[in-house]
This record gives sequence, structure tokens and C-alpha cells, in this order.
Amino acid sequence: MADVAMNVNGEAVRAELPDNTLLVDFLRETLGLTGTHVGCETSQCGACVVHLDGEAIKSCSVLAASVAGRAVTTIEGLADGDALHPMQAAFNAHHGLQCGFCTPGMIMAGVDMVRRYRASGEALDEAAIRHELEGNICRCTGYHNIVRAIDAAAKAM
Amino acid sequence: MKVLRPGTLGEARALIARPGHVAVGGGTVLQLGWASGATPPEALVDLSRLGLGDIAASADGGLTIGAAATLADIENDPQLSDTAPLLARAVRDIGAPGIRRLATLGGQIGWGAGCLLPALLALDARVFAAGSTDPVDMPLADWLAAPDGLVLSVTVPPQAPDATWTWRKIGLRAAFTPSVIAVAGLRSEASAALGAGGGPVPPRRLPVSEAAVAEGPEALRLALEAEIEAPDCIHRTGRYRARVAAAALTRGLFGTPRAPAAETSLKVPAAEPPPEGLRSLEGGPGGPEWHPRPDGRAKITGQAGYLTDARAPDMLVGRILRAGRPHARILSLDTSRAETLPGVAAVVTHADVPGLNAFGIMWQDQPALCHDVIRYEGDPVAAVAAVDEATAETALQAIEVVYEDLPVIASPAEALAEDATRLHQGGNLAAGFDLERGDVEAGFGAAAHIVEATYVTPRQMHVFLETEGGWCAPGDDGTLTVAVGGQHGGRDREQLARILDMPEERLHVITSPTGGGFGGKDELTVQPALALLALKAGRPVRLHLSRAESVLAGVKRNPMTIRMKTGCDADGRLLAQEVELVADCGAYASLSPAVAETALEHALGPYLAPALKTSGRLAYTNNGVGGAFRGFGANQMTFAIECQLDRLAALTGLDPVEIRRRNLRRPGMPGLMGHKVAGSERLAEMLAAAAASPLWSARAGPDGDPEGTGMALNFQGNGLGSLPQDDGEGELRLAADGAIEIASGLDEMGQGLATALQAVGAARLGCARSDIRPVYGDTQAAPDSGSTSASRGTFAAWSIARGAAPGFAEKVLALAADLTGVEATSLRLVPGGVAVAGTNSDAPIARFADLARHAGTALPRQKTAFAFPKTDYTDGNARFIHCYGATLARVAVDPVTGEVRLRALEMHTAAGPVIDLAAYLGQIEGGLIQGLGLTLTEDTLFREGRVLTTNLDAYMVPSIRDVAPSLRVTALEDLDADDPWGPRGVGELGIGAVTPAIANAVAAAIGGWPVAAPFSPEAILELATGSAAA
Ligand code: FES
Ligand code: FES
Repeated sequence: MADVAMNVNGEAVRAELPDNTLLVDFLRETLGLTGTHVGCETSQCGACVVHLDGEAIKSCSVLAASVAGRAVTTIEGLADGDALHPMQAAFNAHHGLQCGFCTPGMIMAGVDMVRRYRASGEALDEAAIRHELEGNICRCTGYHNIVRAIDAAAKAM
Repeated sequence: MKVLRPGTLGEARALIARPGHVAVGGGTVLQLGWASGATPPEALVDLSRLGLGDIAASADGGLTIGAAATLADIENDPQLSDTAPLLARAVRDIGAPGIRRLATLGGQIGWGAGCLLPALLALDARVFAAGSTDPVDMPLADWLAAPDGLVLSVTVPPQAPDATWTWRKIGLRAAFTPSVIAVAGLRSEASAALGAGGGPVPPRRLPVSEAAVAEGPEALRLALEAEIEAPDCIHRTGRYRARVAAAALTRGLFGTPRAPAAETSLKVPAAEPPPEGLRSLEGGPGGPEWHPRPDGRAKITGQAGYLTDARAPDMLVGRILRAGRPHARILSLDTSRAETLPGVAAVVTHADVPGLNAFGIMWQDQPALCHDVIRYEGDPVAAVAAVDEATAETALQAIEVVYEDLPVIASPAEALAEDATRLHQGGNLAAGFDLERGDVEAGFGAAAHIVEATYVTPRQMHVFLETEGGWCAPGDDGTLTVAVGGQHGGRDREQLARILDMPEERLHVITSPTGGGFGGKDELTVQPALALLALKAGRPVRLHLSRAESVLAGVKRNPMTIRMKTGCDADGRLLAQEVELVADCGAYASLSPAVAETALEHALGPYLAPALKTSGRLAYTNNGVGGAFRGFGANQMTFAIECQLDRLAALTGLDPVEIRRRNLRRPGMPGLMGHKVAGSERLAEMLAAAAASPLWSARAGPDGDPEGTGMALNFQGNGLGSLPQDDGEGELRLAADGAIEIASGLDEMGQGLATALQAVGAARLGCARSDIRPVYGDTQAAPDSGSTSASRGTFAAWSIARGAAPGFAEKVLALAADLTGVEATSLRLVPGGVAVAGTNSDAPIARFADLARHAGTALPRQKTAFAFPKTDYTDGNARFIHCYGATLARVAVDPVTGEVRLRALEMHTAAGPVIDLAAYLGQIEGGLIQGLGLTLTEDTLFREGRVLTTNLDAYMVPSIRDVAPSLRVTALEDLDADDPWGPRGVGELGIGAVTPAIANAVAAAIGGWPVAAPFSPEAILELATGSAAA
């Protein structure tokens, strides 16, 4: 067992966990933050993407114990109270979702890419958005509205 | 398994020297290993605390990269693109961004299979490691051959600036793909360096080929083909790997003389204007037709309430024991050890099934829990409920089952062989269909041209992102709530009542929201096991299939083999058509017989021929379970007929539009079975729209790869057909909070039911969409509206609004009259409430909330019933209402790999008025892309009844890079003046003709038609080299 403490959505959390607990299971099962989804066991789908110290990672591919002491943000921690994050608002406005199961991961990936490109001064054009989304599967939409949503959010953020 | 986090190098070295201790960097491939059955090691030695992540200039002007540097660190290093542009390029193809942020260089090397290795090898990278005895500094190639100790850093010398270099990762799809093979090469005056590896290919330098570089491209290519050691895998042969690697390296280092353009005899249609009324559907906020989804906000904030996300303190976790073997007899089943494990609340087997131990929408032949025979790997044998996942897993392992394996029926051909082992009492022929009309032999005898080909379609998997699952809770009053994502709560309840021997009234079934269905949640999934567990435990239980279990257990699209022989006269008029369909049913019937019949309903497509002969055989096998999937058999048959038309076009010298025009059925004609079909046929218009497409004259891309444009027509029935019961009910009602509820037992799977209900309600009543609250997917909250399948949701929603609105409005107006004293006849519904008719003002004099308050408990409600319109044909099943489409694809064929890349997709649709723009577009776009997957990458592979593509790392759904950069959808919305049937559903229209459109585009590019979907690049290469393209 490992004694794992970290910051999740701005709150300090701590738990005794089996060493092999994946971060996504810690979030969903221990903390009950079920907005982060699991769509595979092979790091393929991206439904589980959260931010680790502000960067998007697949929470099914890291152990909770490996990220002890760090800060995690999930979809539940993105909005500022009732005010949606611009990325969330853009997904809603552009119909960047259908069943919505991939959406939390898509939104978290979107926020991260906008921030990163902003910081590096590179342009987040459509090709860059598509490159950045290579690890996120959506089975419903055909992706076009997702690209539009991220593009619009990039302008609003 | 323990995770150890050493703080010093010394500690780390001591730990990894112990048996069962494995060093990890980012750890991104570990879970992958466990998921595919590898046992987790005793301990992971996490190296992240050692530092070792620096990237710095090395003494020789290259870079020294710490072992813990992530691939993202490398990708973002500012010096890299100058020092080693090959590596900078290669790293972008490894994994995906979220993986590169965790995966480390040390991990790639330690794992020994990373697809970055060929690049590092070609660049003469050196490894610096803390060896088991001494520090080690050696070429990467040597280290890989005999790994010693812990990699600390890798030095990459500067890339020779004058060298020509190339990098190519060939995968199973366009991005985030396992490697088929990856190659890297550098060539300068003096020397050459070549590396290959990735996936199952051992990472190697290629010295023999390096020496052959000086002899020129052809010598190099041959040397590479001989030297690259590449094994077969389930997707590609070793021969293909070596061949494409050789071609890619040769082309990359020498460039390739352009392949001569293929001699395709396909003509391009003459340009013509699009049909009147056709409009491009453009989405985007701001437009008057663009409305947000009612469930959007919940979904973007992580609060959508998926049934697999429910958590409660006393909820148990359920798991199902799958047989894990394709065909066997159960000799004994002993759960006693599992039952006594601490933390286990219930174990159920067939002995716990109180009612009928069988289910199935058409025939009840599938056991809830197997009692005698196992017929596929995913067959459930027992289930457990325990306090947590780990305990449930332990309990599953404690269940002892003794099986006697039986001969496996691995294909329909084996199933239908005379002396085949019988999978069901009635034999292995699940269903057979035969039809003969006109004199087929005479037709072929008179034909000027005959084409015959055998088309094969894959066992496509739905891959709804939310796998099957949910929760179930017994109530104090003898009721049971079953909340599992589904497509027809009413029928799930009926089936469960039979299994549980419980009156339907005591079952409360919740089926929405669900994270995607596409037909794969139409049949019962985990409900029987889950319900039995909750009943036995007397407590709420949740259960959610892992992806691997979903792959094993869930229904799939029925694979079909379609032999089609088509003859026409010299003018291209069809004379005879012969179709022989063999379909794989899988182990149980589910909806497969109806799927096969629907396929045959499309045996002639939308065309006419005086003679037709069709036969269909649906055979039971041990290959999983087949069943409903978007398109429902129509798209498979459309693939065949639409390719046949283009083949005949090539032979007759007609263009693809003209040959279709000459054979197109005309409005008012009977359907294929001689049955009556509804009006508003728009096939000629769809054909005209296709003819007008700019894609026919698209310019080839800059890389000069062969390109082509292809088209296909399709039509898709709405509703279950003439035989099954196909009706339903719905309701409009005013809720106590003033919301107008439109209630329907249909399901929201993402397709936009909630939006559609709002749209039709608002349109009929005259109120705002925001006044309306859609209620669905819950047998207690909404009446049974039939299944959410067969593109029937649109008609159902429209019928409910149409049927209930007048009565409901009357009651609301009466209520308003009572409240305001204004006569009901002078009132009307407006956004927000009720206003005085005949005035210009839309300001309500009573808001809906006021009316609800005034009504007290006597809230107005209006129920309505509807019946799906049916055709008169009853000798078999046939559809009455249809929608129509034309799909065009523009593709490029990679001459090196045979991969087909989609440049543009276009679909023209005719389905009556668009009731919600975003939902309509979403269905077409999503359908097209799901069709793209079926066409190019998706197949659930089986060998001897066992699934080979066990998870999403082997089953390739289209990534964002696979979809066409350009996608255009149009709609022709008018209906015939006397058409009373309203808007048609387009849930299945989009997927209907993608495969033949792409196949025909490939033929236009390279001169030959791929016949087996997904189109294997290997087969495409054969086709391309078999034709004029060298
Ligand atoms: S759950 Fe699929 S990538 Fe994490
Ligand atoms: S919206 Fe369903 S998977 Fe993306």
C-alpha cells in the first residue's frame, strides 16, 4: 500500500492505495470524480485525459503513487463556479460532442494545447489542433466540430 | 505489485538487480502489457526521482539526452531540429501528445521495441549506462543486442548537414498507431546509415543495405527487402513490412521517378447544375438554425450522469465470468470457494435464474448465464458482486468450471458443411432467403458485359466509447431498478421480466444517457447478470465492462461475403443480377436474421433489372455474436452493387453518373419485393447532386500520388419493416415547475434525441425550445415509444409532437382562459407562455409556470400513440419509408505503402425537412467516419473462434488524422406535396455508401477495385502493381 497525497482540483486529498492503483481509478473510485472516463485499457482513447501540473496526460497510463505531491485538474475542476471555461463553452456552442463520453478528455486536451501553443508563441492552426488530438478518439462526431470548438476557444481564451 | 522510488542512482541499481524488479520511466507501456495478459512484475522501480531528464549539447556538437527526458521534452528541444532533424521529425510520430509527455527516452530503449529506435540507430546514437559492473558507453545497437544495467543518457551526434535523410513510420492508421514498421535513413557522398524497427520488427541497423546504397536505388531496394527481418502479425505479413520499408527508404533517399498514371477506363461525368433546392449544410453558432444541445452543459462539465458513472456508498461491484473458450460443454461449475471469500456478497449462475434462461430480440436463444454449452468466448457463466473491484476479481478466479472443449466452427463455410457439429438444435443455418424473378440465365445470355466479383465486409465493432454497464438496485417494495445504457427500455424490461420471472410493473428500466450505441446496445448486454446479482445480494450493484471484455462479449456487425454477378447490354442497361450472400451470424441470433434480410432488400440497389436471383445464408459460428449495427446490412450490400455499377461503367464506356441514370428506379415504382413504397423519392436528384460535385475535377495533390474520385448512391429504410410490431406512445405534459415535458421512451445515445424532441415540440406548439424539457430513456418517466434503432427516432418524435400537440395545447389554453379570463379561442401558445391571439405582441399574458401553479395537481397532459407506416408486403420484411443519399470520395493511394488516404468526402442527402441542423449534420458526419473505419481500418479478427483484436490498440477506429480534411454535407429537404410522413431519420444514411464511394475512387486512381473491406494496403499494392501503375 502507498500513502498518496496530491492536490486535485485545488483541494488536498490523501489516501492509502494499493501501489498499482492507476491515477484514473484513484480519481473515479476513491474520489468519486467520475467525469473523467475510461474507454480502453491501452492508452488509446484519451477519455481519461486530465491535467497533471497543468499538462494533459492520460490518467490511465500513470500510477497514482507516481504523481504523489503533484496537482491534478479534472473536468470537474475546470469551470469557475457557474462560469464555464471558454473551452467548455466552445464545445457546447460548436456541438463538439454527441454522446459526450469522450468530451471531458477532449476538453482537457484542448485547454492544454491552447495554453502550450500560447506559451511557445506558435500558432495553433487547424493542422496543429489535429496533430495534438491524435491521441483522443471520438466515435460519434467525425471530429470536425471538435476542431472548430478548440479553434474558437483558442481565440476566446 | 509494489512501486519503489529510489532517490539515488546507487539505490536504483541495487533495486533493479533484484529478481522481478523492473525499471520504469513514464510507464506508458506497462498497462498495455498487463491489458494484453502479461503478469505485472513484483516491483516497479520508478526512476523519476533520479533527475536524468536534462538535454544538453554534447562535446561533439550533438546532444546528450538524459534517460528520463520525455519524448515531449525531446520534441520541444530548440536545438534538436538543427542538430538532428531526423530525430526531431521521428519523435512526432511516436504515440500521441498525452503519451509523449510521459514516455521517456530511457523507456523506449529499455523496452527495446520503441519505434523511435530506428531513428536513433541510424543517427549512430550511443548509450551511456550504469552497467551491472562498470559504467558502459557503447553504440545503441550494441546495447540493444546485450542490454546491461540502467540507461543514464543517450548521445546523438550531429546529423551530417549534407546528408539526405528520411523517416517513415508505417502504421495501421494515420496517427497514434502501432508500428507496422518504422525506418530511418541517411545518405551522403561518403556513407549511408539505415535503421528499421518498430512493432514486431526487431530494431536493427542494416549494414548490408548500407553497402548497397552506393549501387543505386534498385540495388538498395532489393538489399533491404532481403535484409529486413520482419515477422507476420495479425494485421500485416512480414513480406509486406519488408517490401514497404524497402520502398519507403529507397524513395526517401533517392526520390522515385513518378509512376505512370494508371490506365483507368473510368470516365468523369460531365458537369451539370445541382438539383434545385439542394443546400449546403453549414454548422456553427450564431445561425438561426443552430441550437445548443439540451444535454450539452451537463456533458461538458462532467455531470452528465452516465449510468456507469453512478457511485453510492453501499454499491457493490459486479463482474461477469466469461467462458474464454469458443465452444465447450460445461462439465461442472463450482462457486463455493468464491461465495465464502470475505467481501463477496453474491455469486450467481444459471441456477439463480428464476425464469426463462434465454434472451434475444427476435428469438430467445442466448442464455442469460450458460448452463450447458458455451458457444462463444464471451458467453457468461457466472457473475459475482463484491465490495470492490479487486475482491470481485479474486472471486471470479475462485470459481471453478470444468469444460469439455468441442469442435470450433470458425466460419460460415464450416458451419454449413454437411457433417458440421451443430451449434444449435435446429442446425447451423440460422436463416435462409431465396428469391428469383425473371429469367436470370437468359439475361446473362443476352448481356454484352458481365462482371462478377466477391465482396467481403468486416466484423465491425461499435466501439461506443462508453462500454456496456450501469447499475441495478432492488427497492423495498419488491421493485427492481435496472439502469444500463440501452436502446429500448420497454423491450429490455420485457426481456428481463421473462428472465427474472417478475411482472413488468415491478421493473423500472433506465436506459439513458448512454455513451454511444450504434445498434450495439439494442440487444440486452449486462442487464441479466446485473439484475440477478442485485436481487441475490439485496443491494445495489454496479458493473462496467472493461474494453477488453466488451470486445469479447458485445455484438458485432455480421461479416458478409457477397458474390455478385451483374450483366448489362451494350448501352449499359442492366439485364440480370445474381447475388449470393453468406453471412456470419455468430453464436446466437440476436437481430442477425433481420440484418441479412435487409441486406438482400438492397440486392439491386436503387436500380432496375428484368431478372434477379438472390440467395442468402446466415450461419451460426463460434465467432462472437453478430447483430444490429448502423446500416443494418444495407451498407454491406450497397458496397457490392455500387462497385458493380462502376465496373460496368468502365466496360461500357459510360461515366458513373450516366450508367446509374440509365438504370435508376423511378418514383412510384414498387420496391424490390414488389411492395409499395412511400413517395418523396429523390434518387435522380441525388445523382444530379453527385454529378455536380467539384470533386470530379479536383486537382491532384503536390506529392503526385495517384488520386481518384468515386461515387455511390444509397437509400436507407426507416422503421423496423412490415413484419415486426412497430408502434409507440408519447406524451406532452406540463410539469409542476412550468416546463413542458415531451416524454418518449426513446434513448439519447448522442444522436440528438433530446434536441429533436425539443425541436418538434416547439415547432408544433409554438413555444420556445427552452420551454420544453425532453424526458426519455426511463420506463417510469416516459411511455414506450419503441426502439431507438432503424432510424425511427425522428419519425417517432415527430409523430408524438404531431399527435399530442393539439390536445395538449387545447388543455393549456383552457387553463390559461381560466386563469386570465380571456376566452381560450382568443389565446395561443408563444415562447414563455400563453398570449392573446391576433395581436402583434408575443408577450405572454400567462407564463407556463403561472399556469402550472394555477393547475395545482390537475396539470394538463396529453398522451398519443403512433404506428410506423408499413408497406403491404408480408411474405418477408420490407420497408416503406426511405431516405436517399449520394456519397463522393476523393482519395490518394500511397504508391509506397498501398495506404488509401481520404482527401475529401461529400454527401448529398434527401430525407425531408431538417428538424435540427446540428443533429442532422452530426449524424451524417459521424456515420461517414464510422463508414470510413469499416472501409479502411476496422475488423474484429478471429482465429479458431478466438478474438485476436482484443482491445483498441489492435482494433483501429479512425483517429482524427484518418478523417478527410474536407467534409461537405448537403440536404434536399422538400417532400412530395401529398407526403404525410414528415422528416425521415438519417442515423444510418451516412454510413450507407462510404465503402463503395472509396472503392470506386481507388479504382479511378489505380485501375482496380478493392473487394475486401477493410481494404488492406497489401491488397491495394497488388492491385496497383497489377495495373499500369508500376
Ligand atoms: S482510458 Fe483510454 S486512454 Fe485512458
Ligand atoms: S461524442 Fe461520443 S465519443 Fe465523442
